Amino acid sequence: MKTENLKHDSAIKHVTGQSVFVNDLAFSGQLVGRVVYSKLASARIKSIDFSEALLLNGVAAILTYKDIPGQNQLGPVIHDEPCLAGEEVTFIGQAIVLIAAENRETALSAEKLIHIEYEELESVLTLREAISKNNLLAPPRCIECGNVDNAFKSAPNRISGELETGAQEHWYLETQSAIAIPGEGKEMFVHASSQNPAETQAIVAEVLGVAKNEIEVEVRRMGGGFGGKETQGNHVAAWAALLANATRRPVGIQLFRDDDQIMTGKRHRFLSYYSIGFDNFGKILAYSVELNSDAGAATDLSRAILERAMLHAENSYFIPNVKIVGKAYKTNLPSNTAFRGFGGPQGMAVIETAIDRIARFLKKDAAEIRKINFYGIDERNITPYGETVSNCRLDVMYEKLLVSSNYVERKNAIADFNRTHEFKKRGIALTPIKFGISFTTAFLNQAGALVHIYNDGTVAINHGGTEMGQGLNTKIHGIASSEFGISPQFIKISSTNTSKVPNTSATAASSGSDLNGMAVKNAIDTLKSRLAEVAANVLNVKLSTDSIQNHQIVFLENEVFSSLHPNTKITFAELVKKAYLSQVSLSATGFYKTPGIFFDRETGKGNPFFYYAYGMAVSEVEIDTLTGETNLLRSDILHDVGDSLNEEIDIGQIEGGFIQGVGWVTTEEIKWDKSGNLLTHSPDTYKIPTVNDIPLIFNVALLKSHPNEGTIRKSKAVGEPPLMLAFSVWLAIKDAVSAVGNHEFEPQFSLPATAEVVLLSIEEIRKKVLGVGG
Amino acid sequence: MNPQRDTIQFVLNDKLVTVDFNSNPELKPTTTVLNYLRSLPFHKGVKEGCAEGDCGACTVVIAENLNGKLSYKTIDSCLVFLPMIHGKQLITVENLADPDVLHPVQQEMVNHNGSQCGYCTPGVVMSLFGLYKNHHKPEREVIEDSLTGNLCRCTGYEPIIKAAEHACSCVDTDKFTIHENQIIAMLDEISRITYPLEIKTLSQKYFKPFTLADALLFRKTYPTATIIGGATDSALRQTKKHEVLPEILDISGIEELDYFIEDETVYKIGSGTNLEKLKSLIVEKLPALHKMLKVFGSLQIRNLATFGGNIASASPIGDMLPLLFAYKAKIKLQSADNERIVPIGDFIKGYRLTSIQNDELITEIEIPKPDSDTLICSYKVSKRKHLDISTVSGGFSLRLENETVKDIILAFGGMASQTKRATQTEEFLRGKAWTRKVVEEAMEILASEFLPLSDARSSAVYRSLIARNLLLKLFSETTTSGL
Repeated sequence: MKTENLKHDSAIKHVTGQSVFVNDLAFSGQLVGRVVYSKLASARIKSIDFSEALLLNGVAAILTYKDIPGQNQLGPVIHDEPCLAGEEVTFIGQAIVLIAAENRETALSAEKLIHIEYEELESVLTLREAISKNNLLAPPRCIECGNVDNAFKSAPNRISGELETGAQEHWYLETQSAIAIPGEGKEMFVHASSQNPAETQAIVAEVLGVAKNEIEVEVRRMGGGFGGKETQGNHVAAWAALLANATRRPVGIQLFRDDDQIMTGKRHRFLSYYSIGFDNFGKILAYSVELNSDAGAATDLSRAILERAMLHAENSYFIPNVKIVGKAYKTNLPSNTAFRGFGGPQGMAVIETAIDRIARFLKKDAAEIRKINFYGIDERNITPYGETVSNCRLDVMYEKLLVSSNYVERKNAIADFNRTHEFKKRGIALTPIKFGISFTTAFLNQAGALVHIYNDGTVAINHGGTEMGQGLNTKIHGIASSEFGISPQFIKISSTNTSKVPNTSATAASSGSDLNGMAVKNAIDTLKSRLAEVAANVLNVKLSTDSIQNHQIVFLENEVFSSLHPNTKITFAELVKKAYLSQVSLSATGFYKTPGIFFDRETGKGNPFFYYAYGMAVSEVEIDTLTGETNLLRSDILHDVGDSLNEEIDIGQIEGGFIQGVGWVTTEEIKWDKSGNLLTHSPDTYKIPTVNDIPLIFNVALLKSHPNEGTIRKSKAVGEPPLMLAFSVWLAIKDAVSAVGNHEFEPQFSLPATAEVVLLSIEEIRKKVLGVGG
Repeated sequence: MNPQRDTIQFVLNDKLVTVDFNSNPELKPTTTVLNYLRSLPFHKGVKEGCAEGDCGACTVVIAENLNGKLSYKTIDSCLVFLPMIHGKQLITVENLADPDVLHPVQQEMVNHNGSQCGYCTPGVVMSLFGLYKNHHKPEREVIEDSLTGNLCRCTGYEPIIKAAEHACSCVDTDKFTIHENQIIAMLDEISRITYPLEIKTLSQKYFKPFTLADALLFRKTYPTATIIGGATDSALRQTKKHEVLPEILDISGIEELDYFIEDETVYKIGSGTNLEKLKSLIVEKLPALHKMLKVFGSLQIRNLATFGGNIASASPIGDMLPLLFAYKAKIKLQSADNERIVPIGDFIKGYRLTSIQNDELITEIEIPKPDSDTLICSYKVSKRKHLDISTVSGGFSLRLENETVKDIILAFGGMASQTKRATQTEEFLRGKAWTRKVVEEAMEILASEFLPLSDARSSAVYRSLIARNLLLKLFSETTTSGL
């Protein structure tokens, strides 16, 4: 079966408006849930008065932490995050009171009648302040190799600096939502928009004080996740479940956009300090970096995110002497959380800045500096944490991309353009990525599946992954179709449901199709060997006992036959019917765990990744030196997905991830006021890319003929890595700014490079130019 | 009162719908089209993504009878109150396809993998439908313009652009064209009613007159009523701040206020003219205004927002006002008993404050035709190029004689609590040679004339820098060696 070009599983439902999202469901007697949250960043709650609100016609329940029957906890890893604030609030947006009412208007009116009295406490709202107060979330971590101190002493050149990288709002189109429906006894059914239904189940069970087997969580699809629903989709599910439990009626909550932006965590902002030692050719000899992240008010996934930042601190470059220190700090902001890249982007941004500076310092082309520092094939291939980088594809991709993007000629043309233009400057940059694939928490690298064949020959696939638009179900659909040898129309991918596949990991770390694809294949293998025996009987062939049975019985194009007698066939549907009548089980579970993954957090050594995904991009921009505005002229991307499971879906992930990255490095700026109020709490002030912000010329290609051994159909994960290709845009902007001073001065730069950052940097350089000239 | 005065009628896809607000307690006159649709069975395709007209997930298409042809417009249904679609056809994503055949825009979205998570998709599809009905083989710029108001967080837009190109390359023979006459007949039937709608519920009064005379009478009787033209600003009070608007005067149905005429010296524009229509009429006539409108909101917003409404909001960062200062525009105000014409500079009184009396409506904007030797320029600097509110906007007018400044107007938005002219800089420049050196001296004066604010969009320092630099930008555009 040709399944590499299957269209998105839900495409027709999407375009006709039939796709069902959580808030499109409606159940008899359903109430609207509303969350009342803290208006102060740090305070003691003196009193909560909701007596008036309770009297309002149409209000069904008002709950505080005192009404939680189970544990008052939402923390996924560390239990340091109350479900509803008790005596203290630690950030603006923290849930305090829950309302269930007949409709939205009543819930809003009730909220206005609830009076919360606070006693304000001191708060920490900036990362710099948290660092200066040593407000650590957990003990610092370190990864080290070689001897950095000695290497710095003997290095001919050394550059040091700091880099700020900003937070990023997920801006999934569908805000956080859930509907909880009470069942018999202690049962609760939850329709969730969650990347991790098993954890949603666990949290709901905990807050209700019941066992997990009482809770069933179903995820049909999410209207975008990007990491924002890896843990924080649990919150709204827990609140809905509490209200449903109290009222014994279905309760739905969908956060208003502004509330979602105010209440939920974002990509961690980082403040990093670095030193880099290098020789006169630009070869890196030593790199020392301290990565400081803003965890927000609770742990959430901050430790794992910091870990991934540290594990990507060297990006694609072999450096013999490295010291990476990671520190996460607590502040009085919503707990920051997973976001595509999961710390990787923040770690990589620093080394990319450092290399950019080396190039300017040595007056060399930054792409060349990158190239001479790439990981090697057989040598120079050990990471700072001791994993061997095998099958490195950086060199081959570099050669291809340099040619396809016409890098050298364009670089010269840009220099000419800049000589003749005062108020417009152009810049170009090539940046690579090497992204480690696997959960760094080793035990999470497991997945389950449940595959049913019905006796009409149709197939239903259940797996533990969730669909958030990335096309996981489409890829699974293709895998199942290929493995079963039947047309896709006979296969249906079911909603993800905790009662079908238990104890699943989050659909995260780009691992959805790697893990679940393998688990589904495993279940299908089991079913095929059962069917093969029936087929052998029916087709009257003998299966040899010393080889894998189903290799002799071939499943192809909806038919089944022996490889020895290919002309004697039975249709798949007929075979299934025969199997059913022969009392053969037509349902099987599948399981997969990634082999060989381990990481010792104490020593900072191990093999945390099953393999690496590579990508490379060249981007060219033009800036307006009077306003700081950027125009993205062209991006060329070459990306490595092994043998693609579905080329169009992979390219969709690359383009979408890249543009999301472009938003992070350019216009997506998050600001708070001095009291910790989020200023950019709606799309009015928070600017994600529009259709006008994509490159005028946008060439995206997959690296062909480089299969990845050992994974499902020799493919590679694709979800997160492309986001980091946007560094090419960020550094192209910096290159253009640098051109204002004829590349003589290092531009002041941070991330995102908003028009404001760009113009202020230009002004700084103009002053230096005047200073030198005059 | 005639009982029909408090019901509205429109065509939902192909069926006539009558809404009686007094017999349906779930619906208020300010119920948005989005919430109305989502309250129906089988109409949950339309989505709320932001409730402020910034994301387009709620995009629907409105068709109206325009001289015997249906004109199709995309709008953000989250900002539109139900009575605003009285007499129109409302087309939703559920109705585009025939039972077994997708509409071309839907089919091309599938072919090009234009959807990922699917949440923005119904809105995107409706924007593509609007494009399909209005453009054959559109340029990339037109495609982008029609999609600016649809945020997608998954795809990076490329496949959606491809879908648009392919869908709009075929000839329009869809079912809407085939059934056009039937729909027009239904709409004509509704439009026979010309007496004003007066919808009164326990908490709200909503008036929708169809003549200016009736509107002015309501204005006189209900001086505190919120006046809405396109409601793109006022609706936010309900959708974002959750206010109840007690009295509404909806002037969106007054055809008399929708016109564009020119005589020898002046353009006269009806205050009810929507900004998209205005944009299409002034490409060559008023290029600086056209340039500004190209980056003004989104197509869905411009299809709703009226010229008069934008001016009446008197926003300190309004994109249009500085430019109207540069054009020396005049505002015509009418009441039931009187009319007067006010220069734009006298019209704006302060932060969101105008000289409109509480019995007056803006009925016309007069823009004098600029002299041939006068250059009018508009600039908008914002964090994101499109669909963003200005950090700083500038409307400049410059008349040179022998390389000397004869007259200059430098009006800025975003630099003060109201649109403000750099009068000292103007004074400095008048009579001086238009040279880089002089301009650079003027930039210093300009910077000292304003004390802008720091806010979510920008720091004060950046605003000051832009304001100065825009003068240099003006200079660079008047000299050949400019860039």
